[in-house]
Amino acid sequence: MTIPSDHILDVGNAARKRMTPWQWVGLAMIALIVLFSLVAPLIGRDPLVQDLDHVMTRPCAASPLGTDHLGRSMLARLGYAARLSLLLAALSVLTAAIPGAILGVAAAWRARWADTMLSTIADCVLALPGLLFIVLLTAFAPGKFWPFYVGLSVALWVEYFRVVRAASQTLLHGSQVEASRMLGFGPVYIVRRHLLPELISLLRTLMTFGAATSVLSLAALGLVGVGLRPPTPELGTMMIELLPHYQEAPWLIAEPILVLLLAVTGLALVAGEREFK
Amino acid sequence: MTFLDVRNLSVQAGATTVVRDASLCLDASHTYTLLGETGSGKSLLAQAIMGNLPSGLSSSGSVAVFGEASVAAEPAKRRKLWGHSMALLPQEPWLALDPTMRVISQVAETYQKVGRSSGGVKGARQRAATDFLSLGLAGAERKLPGALSGGMAQRTAFAAVRAGGARLLIVDEPTKGLDAGLRDSVVSMLKQVAGTGGAVLVITHDVASARLLGGTIGVMLDGEIVEQGPADQILTYPKHDYTRKLLAADPQTWGLSPQPSLGEPVLTATGLSKCFGKQQLFANLDIEIASGERVAVTGPSGSGKTTLGSMLLGLVPPDSGSVSRRPNVPLWKYQKLYQDPIAAFPPRVTLRTSLCDLLSRHGLRWADVEKWMERTRLRASLLDRLPDQVSSGELQRIALVRMLLLQPVLLVADEPTSRLDPITQQETIDLLVECLADSACALVLVTHDEAIAGNIASRVLTLKALHSSMP
Repeated sequence: MTIPSDHILDVGNAARKRMTPWQWVGLAMIALIVLFSLVAPLIGRDPLVQDLDHVMTRPCAASPLGTDHLGRSMLARLGYAARLSLLLAALSVLTAAIPGAILGVAAAWRARWADTMLSTIADCVLALPGLLFIVLLTAFAPGKFWPFYVGLSVALWVEYFRVVRAASQTLLHGSQVEASRMLGFGPVYIVRRHLLPELISLLRTLMTFGAATSVLSLAALGLVGVGLRPPTPELGTMMIELLPHYQEAPWLIAEPILVLLLAVTGLALVAGEREFK
Repeated sequence: MTFLDVRNLSVQAGATTVVRDASLCLDASHTYTLLGETGSGKSLLAQAIMGNLPSGLSSSGSVAVFGEASVAAEPAKRRKLWGHSMALLPQEPWLALDPTMRVISQVAETYQKVGRSSGGVKGARQRAATDFLSLGLAGAERKLPGALSGGMAQRTAFAAVRAGGARLLIVDEPTKGLDAGLRDSVVSMLKQVAGTGGAVLVITHDVASARLLGGTIGVMLDGEIVEQGPADQILTYPKHDYTRKLLAADPQTWGLSPQPSLGEPVLTATGLSKCFGKQQLFANLDIEIASGERVAVTGPSGSGKTTLGSMLLGLVPPDSGSVSRRPNVPLWKYQKLYQDPIAAFPPRVTLRTSLCDLLSRHGLRWADVEKWMERTRLRASLLDRLPDQVSSGELQRIALVRMLLLQPVLLVADEPTSRLDPITQQETIDLLVECLADSACALVLVTHDEAIAGNIASRVLTLKALHSSMP
């Protein structure tokens, strides 16, 4: 049912898509991390080169974020780690969102059997905890990057599928789509003019949350030791490596935590509710 | 005792004044009806009185409720009265009900939490049950709002509002889109409130409701109350030009439309039947519609008028029987006009884009759009807006233009004007009849308004009684 809006005037319209101040803050945080991940590896040293003469130094001109327990440049390592996390997040979110959304629309469209089949598969995937699935995959290729990518994508697509399916079902059964069909428009038009404009904001929210989940999962697995293997710079593995030294050099462990916090908070803030009316 | 005394109330939206210097007075046991067209500012006036104006709007003037004066712009004092002393029954009251809660609990909850009635949960439930009986809702107590018909949802919302115990009731468009039977029952509910010592401020565009309500009438035009006085006086001897126009637009007073010339049949339906759950809507219905013919389908709400219209267009399959269209005519020559025109446009693109899409789909020229826009007296600048930024009347005309571009052979119009004010309604119906006559298109008009049906249709089909009659 549509709510007639003629008596509200146009007051709400300008505000409909404006970002909230908090979303700007979130966006700034993400921009900061992205910039850092691009610039830090350029100005820092090779993240794998050890310098045992200078271990756990405080931040100084030579190594702006200090060095770790093996004398490696924290700046370079954090830069690479952030780059890795963001890359994984972007890749797995795209791989999950695009097929997830397409399948969701397909399931909502018409054929009952396609809907039943896809929904059953989605429910099966949902029954399996995502992290567990990734751990299973890593058993095949320990320390490799692809199990994370594949595992996260497989775990995440269900969300897109279900949300898009539910939203598309309502839209496709609505009178607006009915009217367009009667006017002689085909499926392409319905997707372009009716589904996409409504789904895009939903997808945007889901994708930002999905990215935050990916970043967090990679770090969580690294932290419990089933993630990427040292010496690959990764936020979770760095935390666990630096944990024994937190008393002598608390700033060292604080750095990857701060990067992770910034990335996840930034994404969560951007995903937060848009201001309606 | 004076329940409501509004003095020089104005509402501003930025630099524009949408309500100007409105003053009205409402005593106990009285009704006051604000009559005016969509966009005349009557809903905003009510919101300003309540103190729940949408953000971005500001008000000035004074509002005294139960003798307690307050500045219109500072609603805090009035807000304390919400629910138990003054209450608003909003437009589309079914949207005000919780869709996940059984209706009787919603009413009982109001008794308990807002009305602070004695007797605890049990007492509140008993009172709610009594209300359901007296409002003719027996049997619906344990249903969810989604399972109620529009009229029942309206009565439920009314019961919930009344349960708060408010003696001053503001009701926004209570009869919009209702058929005569339901309208009468809503009006009698409201009169009952006034009859038992309450006071009701009703906002409506429906002259018939205003006439039934009696009491005082204020006529609103462009944000100003242009005329007010006792109902008899206003409705019999209107002084203001606009009031006269408004009364003249009552379907009862329209003349008959010229009879169309009929051509070959464009649609033949035989033996149509439809059940809705256990209820048989209609059975063994035969309809033949000739090109240029105007058929009205009438009947009370819930009689399957809309379903029949959709069935003729092939949108709903019949349980039995068949609909055959003229061969060699593409499906898109059979079109539908919706009750709420906003339901027919892609919501996120401008109207111009929608129309351009249609032109390119069917290889038409923009000149045709201009021709029909002129014919329907629409400004071209409207097309650069989104569907929800133009008024319902204008949007319905744009929807009509869009159909006419396709040179349809049959148009099913589902209550196309029941949400419009009388003047716009008459304009729209006149245009509809004229334009369809020009292109020899047949019309199936689904309507609950027998006066309109009688005026324009060459044949009226009344559902429920299951027979077709010639006027």
